[in-house]
Amino acid sequence: MRIPKFTSHRKEIMMDRRKFLGLGLAAVALVPATAFATDFRKEKPDAWKAEKPADAIKALYGDIKPEEKGVKIKAPKLAENGGKIPVTVKSDIEAKSVAIFQDANPRSAVAVWTVQEGGIVDYSITMKMKGSGKITAIVEGKDGKFYSKVLAIEVSKGGCGG
Amino acid sequence: MKVKAKEKNGIVKVKVLAKHQNIGAEEAEKKKKEANFITSVIAKVGDAVVFDMNGSGFMSANPLYKFKFKGKKGDKLEVTWTDLKGETKTKKAKIK
Repeated sequence: MRIPKFTSHRKEIMMDRRKFLGLGLAAVALVPATAFATDFRKEKPDAWKAEKPADAIKALYGDIKPEEKGVKIKAPKLAENGGKIPVTVKSDIEAKSVAIFQDANPRSAVAVWTVQEGGIVDYSITMKMKGSGKITAIVEGKDGKFYSKVLAIEVSKGGCGG
Repeated sequence: MKVKAKEKNGIVKVKVLAKHQNIGAEEAEKKKKEANFITSVIAKVGDAVVFDMNGSGFMSANPLYKFKFKGKKGDKLEVTWTDLKGETKTKKAKIK
């Protein structure tokens, strides 16, 4: 085993190794950008495993009772290509986080955003849906309340290779 | 990765086009490929994080992300994505 020359360098390697061994990952030399932001994939792993939106939402946010207001979802009513569906979530609510779920795929969670101080909730993505279904958007307000919107869309050709 | 950032009235609109297969676990099994998808996208202006998203295998291949934040022309935006395998890619763009 190579013995590094400088102790400070060795401390760096030790820190990285500890961080990543703790996560069960193979040794990765770089500190990822996610080290400085909320990583919902690491902090709420069950949210990404859940099959149904209700379970995914519970795993992510707990037992919440969102109000159906203040959130807009923009998506094509009929998506021609289920492999690339453009979806936009918008809200004027002062938010901490925003999450999108759907019920057409094997698992529900699609994406989660951490909203910065003074941030704007106007996010667009392209996503996949295996077939027609409902898209659910949840906005976690700074006021401690949750807001939601559900939009049903039809998919003519399923994505996800199905 | 392509990044375009335009400011108007103090709001910067950003478009990010990433090149990634974004294959989730179930899809990978079906296609007999290895699952790998973008798990995180972070954008910064200097030290300030202006965009922070966690993704899944249900984002499309070669995904397009759009977002907005309060900023100004001339600032430099840095976008980084990280995938399931730990690979990262960074692109810088000047806000026009």
